[in-house]
Amino acid sequence: MRRSLADWLGISWLMLVLVFLYAPILVMAAMSFNASEFYQLPFQFSTTWYERLARNSAILDSALRSVVIAAVVTVIATALGTAASIALWRYEFRGKRVLQVLLFPPIAIPWLITGTAMLIFFYAVGIGRGTPAVILGHVALALPYVIVVVSARLTTFDRSLEEAARALGAGPWMVTRAVLLPWIAPGIIAGALFAFAVSFDQFVVSYFLSAPGDNTLPVLIYTAIRKGFTPEINAISTIIITVSMALMLLAARFTKFGGER
Amino acid sequence: MSEVRVEGLTKAYGSLRALDDVSLRFPDGGFFGLLGPSGSGKTTLLRAIAGFVAPDAGRVLIGDQPVENVAVEAREIGMVFQNYALFPNMSVAENIGFGLRVRKLGRDEERRRVAEVLELVQLGPLGNRRPHQLSGGQRQRVAMARAIVTRPRVLLLDEPLSALDKSLRVDMQIELKRIQRELGITTIFVTHDQEEAMTLSDRIGILRAGRLIREGRPEEVYADPQDAFTARFLGEANILTGVAEEGGLRLADGTLVHRPQGADAGLIAVRPEHLEVSVAEPACPNRLRADLRQRVFAGAMGTCVMQWQGQVLKSIARHDDLRDLPETGPVWLCWQDRHARALVQEP
Amino acid sequence: MAPGVTDTLARTDLRRAGLLLTPAYLWLTVAVFLPLSAMLFFSVITDVPFGDTEWQFTWTNFTAFFQTGTYATLLWKSLGLGLKVTVLCVLIGFPCAWVLAKTIRGRAREALFLLVILPFWSNSLVRVFSWAIVLRGNGVLDRMVNAIWPWPVDVDLLFTEHAIIIGLVHSYLPYVILTTYLALQAIDDSLIEAARSLGARRFTILRRIVLPLSAPGLIAGAVLIFVPVVGSFMEPRILGGRMGTYYGTVIEDQFVSVFNWPLGAALSFILLAVVLAILALAGPVLRRTGT
Repeated sequence: MRRSLADWLGISWLMLVLVFLYAPILVMAAMSFNASEFYQLPFQFSTTWYERLARNSAILDSALRSVVIAAVVTVIATALGTAASIALWRYEFRGKRVLQVLLFPPIAIPWLITGTAMLIFFYAVGIGRGTPAVILGHVALALPYVIVVVSARLTTFDRSLEEAARALGAGPWMVTRAVLLPWIAPGIIAGALFAFAVSFDQFVVSYFLSAPGDNTLPVLIYTAIRKGFTPEINAISTIIITVSMALMLLAARFTKFGGER
Repeated sequence: MSEVRVEGLTKAYGSLRALDDVSLRFPDGGFFGLLGPSGSGKTTLLRAIAGFVAPDAGRVLIGDQPVENVAVEAREIGMVFQNYALFPNMSVAENIGFGLRVRKLGRDEERRRVAEVLELVQLGPLGNRRPHQLSGGQRQRVAMARAIVTRPRVLLLDEPLSALDKSLRVDMQIELKRIQRELGITTIFVTHDQEEAMTLSDRIGILRAGRLIREGRPEEVYADPQDAFTARFLGEANILTGVAEEGGLRLADGTLVHRPQGADAGLIAVRPEHLEVSVAEPACPNRLRADLRQRVFAGAMGTCVMQWQGQVLKSIARHDDLRDLPETGPVWLCWQDRHARALVQEP
Repeated sequence: MAPGVTDTLARTDLRRAGLLLTPAYLWLTVAVFLPLSAMLFFSVITDVPFGDTEWQFTWTNFTAFFQTGTYATLLWKSLGLGLKVTVLCVLIGFPCAWVLAKTIRGRAREALFLLVILPFWSNSLVRVFSWAIVLRGNGVLDRMVNAIWPWPVDVDLLFTEHAIIIGLVHSYLPYVILTTYLALQAIDDSLIEAARSLGARRFTILRRIVLPLSAPGLIAGAVLIFVPVVGSFMEPRILGGRMGTYYGTVIEDQFVSVFNWPLGAALSFILLAVVLAILALAGPVLRRTGT
């Protein structure tokens, strides 16, 4: 394929941006294998930080907690979000506009504000801080993302398929199960992945809602950094990034994100 | 197999009258064509029978049972959609078997009936294919098979052939007719293609702006359109206006022609195939001088396009018979008394 | 819509719709709307109403904003940060989205798109942290630049506003690339071909066809960036050190160290009002471009 100069310039730009995006990550990964505690070069390969990490129960506990929370949040947010998306797509009723607008606050309001507001309210009603509060908060943040993604997929659904199923005698639940869900499955999976990412990555809201000592991983890392970090943070960070990227790669094989289908 | 009736069906969307007091009877086992221009309400009528549209007034009866409060899925209909609406996540066999699955007939019965109907539509070996692997004509047949396998009381077809190209469409028309004859299901189908409607239907109904303006057997309606719209919509027509007189109809250029009974409004129609064109003056009771502007060649037949009194007139004849005519120039037009039809302007 | 659309709600349908919608919206009410109301309440009282602290209604939390110039200055600083980061992201991201959407095809496109989006899914805190490593004096960047540049140069970007901007751009760039890519991808190639056949040069096509059609995607991305950045405190703290005092960090302090929740609530509401005002301005633009 013949490309013009402008095309090549564009591609080079994209490559540069990719370098920009990955450079710090690669540096951090490299440093996690560096013997020096203070990132001094020259580089000396060593796995001591990973060994220390394996013995650091605080970090490991926190990592596990993050994963579990994210999994719970994913299940809840995906289920609730998918149901809401289907209702918004399938039915026309008064007040539908209002409902659609109400989905925006979690995205439109800075997480700082949402997080602190949740803190205030949960304290006032006795939920306080801790894992239940974190889950409550994360699901609320993830819901709009799930709804947006699933709704986007729903718009590509040919309504006449639903009508055909009904003409063949299928009731609403059967129509949904046999015809609608298979079609929007990629959207649901994409929404689930978003939900997982939003939760696992969530720092701001977790920061305010976690009980001291009972942290999610990002919160733990933050406090450690503020105090002066140990390179074990480096090691766990490298692991997190590798794992999450691997997960996403895997997920991408099952869905098409680019909107192609 | 049931008769279907609609009585006084009315449906409005805001100020738009999609259906205006439509009453029709669709005979049991017959093939009924609903014909009309876009926006005429024919699709709305079909969907009201199916149950996707709830009428503002009027009744729908399937086999003497009023179905206004019966949900779509309980009406026991079969429907073929314009874009076929085949479920992309299922194979051909699964698509066809869907209605049977819903009725919980059991795996064996399902398999048997699916195989049976696949044979009927001549798609035997394709049961395991997916819709996207099929051609347009094949998909159409799967859609048909899916609709009829449940042995519905009535079969509803929403412009089922409009997505196919011409030669395939003609073949499918023949197929459709054959299947319907074999099964004897009451069939109602919607089309904007009047040729198709005439080919397939036992009876046709013509809708315009939500109202039923004409109903009957295709040959009858064609031969005796009764109003100007129908005359032009079903086939083509040359419509001549004039003043009713003692001896006949006085046309704008002064010619006196035969006035058929009922032409009090001064309108008559003559079909192009009944209008003869010649260079020499014909010995004919109704004749006009016109200006031949164009000859259109269309294979077996040819069309002559004439100008007369600021109006376009057309004549169709076998191409061989037109050979002696010039490309353009003054000509004589002629028609027999019995071929003039009286019209009213509005239905 | 014209005839052909299934009619609107029968009573059973209404029930079903309600069943599907209630769980999600109930959750949002408890987790978002009620908390926001609570925060509104908190912003107009003197002290937290827990235990046996005395409290009354007051406007002092809001007037505190106007009393010193500090809060207003910091708000302005945060808004400025938001603007800088958003503009940079859009400028950097749009060409990337364009290349992905139009220039590259097939397998390569999917792979590259994935590569661009992947960092988005890694932990943002960790990514910011990695920038801290790279940008510090005597860090990797410093050594690399010195390795290439003949004269000795001290590159200590950490704890400057530049570092904060770099970190934020890095975090939020994928957002705008994603939304713009989706918008650009929806533009039918035949539109561009038609324009070319009519004689339009590249730049004209960009200005009069591509930009207007992709504007909604761009603006969506810009909003997704601007709003969080304006309230950010994590990146300023880690990358900005002492320089990193912004409106967001002040609010954080109220809840985490100073424990003046009412003040924090009031400051949050002011931020919310400003952000909503800006979004309200963006709304008509979105509508005008025909979303």
